[in-house]
Amino acid sequence: MTSEEPALQHVQADLEPGRLIPVDYRPDKMRIEAITVETPDVKTFRLTFCDAQKAGQFAFLPGQFGLYSVFGAGEATFCIASSPTRKGYIECSVKSAGKVTGELHQCEVGDTIGFRGPYGNSFPIDRMKGKNLLFIGGGIGLAPLRSVIGNCLDWRDQFGEVFILYGARSVDDLVYKEELETWRNRTDVRTLFTVDPGGETPDWDGQVGFVPTVLEEAAPNPENTIVLTCGPPIMIKFVLNSLTKLGFSLDAAYTTLENRMKCGVGKCGRCNVGNVYVCKDGPVFRCDQLQALPQEF
Amino acid sequence: MNDVSETKLYRLEADWLDAALGALERDGVEVLAPVKDEDGSVNLAPVTASSEVATDYLNALIPLKSVFMPRTEVLIEYERAGVGDVEVLPGAAPAGQRVVLGCRPCDARALVMLDSVFNWDYEDVPYRARRDSTTVVSWACMDPGPHCFCTSVGGSPHSAEGSDAVVYLAGSGPALLQVVTAKGAAFVESLGDRAQPAADGTALPEPPELETKFDTGEIKTWLDENFESELWEEVSLRCLGCGACSFLCPTCHCFDIVDESTWKHGERRRNWDSCAFCQFTQHASGHNPRPNQTTRCRQRVMHKFKYFPDRFEQVACVGCGRCAQNCGVGQNLVSILSRIQSEEKP
Ligand SMILES: Cc1cc2nc3c(=O)[nH]c(=O)nc-3n(C[C@H](O)[C@H](O)[C@H](O)COP(=O)(O)OP(=O)(O)OC[C@H]3O[C@@H](n4cnc5c(N)ncnc54)[C@H](O)[C@@H]3O)c2cc1C
Ligand code: SF4
Ligand code: FES
Repeated sequence: MTSEEPALQHVQADLEPGRLIPVDYRPDKMRIEAITVETPDVKTFRLTFCDAQKAGQFAFLPGQFGLYSVFGAGEATFCIASSPTRKGYIECSVKSAGKVTGELHQCEVGDTIGFRGPYGNSFPIDRMKGKNLLFIGGGIGLAPLRSVIGNCLDWRDQFGEVFILYGARSVDDLVYKEELETWRNRTDVRTLFTVDPGGETPDWDGQVGFVPTVLEEAAPNPENTIVLTCGPPIMIKFVLNSLTKLGFSLDAAYTTLENRMKCGVGKCGRCNVGNVYVCKDGPVFRCDQLQALPQEF
Repeated sequence: MNDVSETKLYRLEADWLDAALGALERDGVEVLAPVKDEDGSVNLAPVTASSEVATDYLNALIPLKSVFMPRTEVLIEYERAGVGDVEVLPGAAPAGQRVVLGCRPCDARALVMLDSVFNWDYEDVPYRARRDSTTVVSWACMDPGPHCFCTSVGGSPHSAEGSDAVVYLAGSGPALLQVVTAKGAAFVESLGDRAQPAADGTALPEPPELETKFDTGEIKTWLDENFESELWEEVSLRCLGCGACSFLCPTCHCFDIVDESTWKHGERRRNWDSCAFCQFTQHASGHNPRPNQTTRCRQRVMHKFKYFPDRFEQVACVGCGRCAQNCGVGQNLVSILSRIQSEEKP
């Protein structure tokens, strides 16, 4: 395998050897500016920093995550789902799954929540420049991809062809319906949206079929293409098989891991896969490197 | 470590402990020393008189890490301020100046490992504050216990790693003190005339010998190749997943962060956690990357003897033997490592 990158390259942007970043676990306060109901159990929150100075300094890269907290319920990890090119706010899309996510779903516009971050590495934007891009998302896995897709579309002329393949269990479960429409209407973006068999509605005009199947039928050209794929682990597994069948090399494919996290900064010992820490070395991984790790994710 | 320059050795008068406690108390410095509990176990606790100090103990039950990373600590506090808003307050102020007087060298050596983690690109502020404000004076071991294996993991009953000063006690008579760091030198100052530079030619006593139980290099070689091995299932069958071994381990540092609150007021706490627990890695979806005790036992051994060396070039074990001594089912790192050693060298 030849690759332009050293193993587990793209370390976090603000990490420099020898410079320590102090972490006191104190979150910054953020105000909920808007809430979009995406699906019956997913909401997107638009957040702004309460502190003007913090708001001015804050920067992140697509793929990075944060520790969001509802005071009284605790902290939970979500990716930043908005594009870094859209300044002044961040967005996260949250599936109601437990204590913190459940409480977050009860919050209203104007409420204050906590945020620590950004942490982790990012999608390899530099390597993607000049290449064709294939985005493959499943379910709420579109959240991290939305950040990088938004970034790429705002810098559209720096990339080749853009192909977005997205699927969910049912029409109801598709997130970002407005954006899906916008992407579909663009002439410089190819889109394919699909729902699992049985998940379609009478007026659904997209595909019906599992993401890997639809991918194989669409048969995108592997040449000069970088693939970014996020979704449930089982989908990723079959997507990687399909990519290999189609002639893609997995050293040009990236995905994210979602191991449980507490600290986000390599201390709490929770997120490791072998000697790799998802919070510090990830959450973005090159798929061939992922396959070389112990399969503990 | 034994070639410390002569000027860094001091002779302590027999009553040095009283002198130290008196001087430190006058300076407002808290002293934590081994104290025997009613049940016979020894733990580091605040002391003011030398009569409270257990000088002839084997090791504390709760490891030294608790001084720097308490079992539970408040990271932040918050108060509700109007509808939907909160005021975020910093957690408890870090401790004032403290001296740990009489931990064991293995526990002090564990601080070197904890320092690696807590200063790994990100500096853990509460940990660092406690490290900065605490002087660690360990007591060299003259009479190791049956579970001790520090020499098998690169340590020694007389190791000075992680200590600011090491005291070599000789009964209740005069003792020898080896200064290791500037903080250790400051501690000697506080002893006034009870500490005098040792006479020329004074040598440190030879450390007692310990049986070598395994070779960490050979263990690592086996671990590199054997993520998948039947041995993991075999050695984990008895494990209850109680976490005693990791709570009592001086290098285990896994933690949880949880909120505890009433309607108006809340705290975000950091609590010790353990990779032995079944929900440690469980995702919200119910998916668990380490779904059974086999994978969790493997993680603990791998972390200490492969992953940690891979990332920090040291094993995360100091050979204190607490895991072997305190496991309710006779399962522990030493027994597992000895098994691995026999696999490696049949
Ligand atoms: C890098 C990263 C990025 C992520 N990005 C996103 C994202 O963009 N959007 C998103 O929605 N999610 C994301 N996640 C997942 C998200 O972090 C989790 O869904 C979230 O932390 C769940 O928190 P919670 O407090 O709501 O769940 P918890 O309350 O912690 O519950 C988790 C699960 O455990 C169960 N449980 C809790 N307590 C017990 C108990 N005592 N006994 C038995 N079962 C119990 C619950 O029923 C639940 O199923 C991401 C995760 C990572 C690591
Ligand atoms: S090895 Fe022993 S002490 Fe450790 S978790 Fe298992 S049963 Fe508990
Ligand atoms: S989240 Fe704590 S070590 Fe990665």
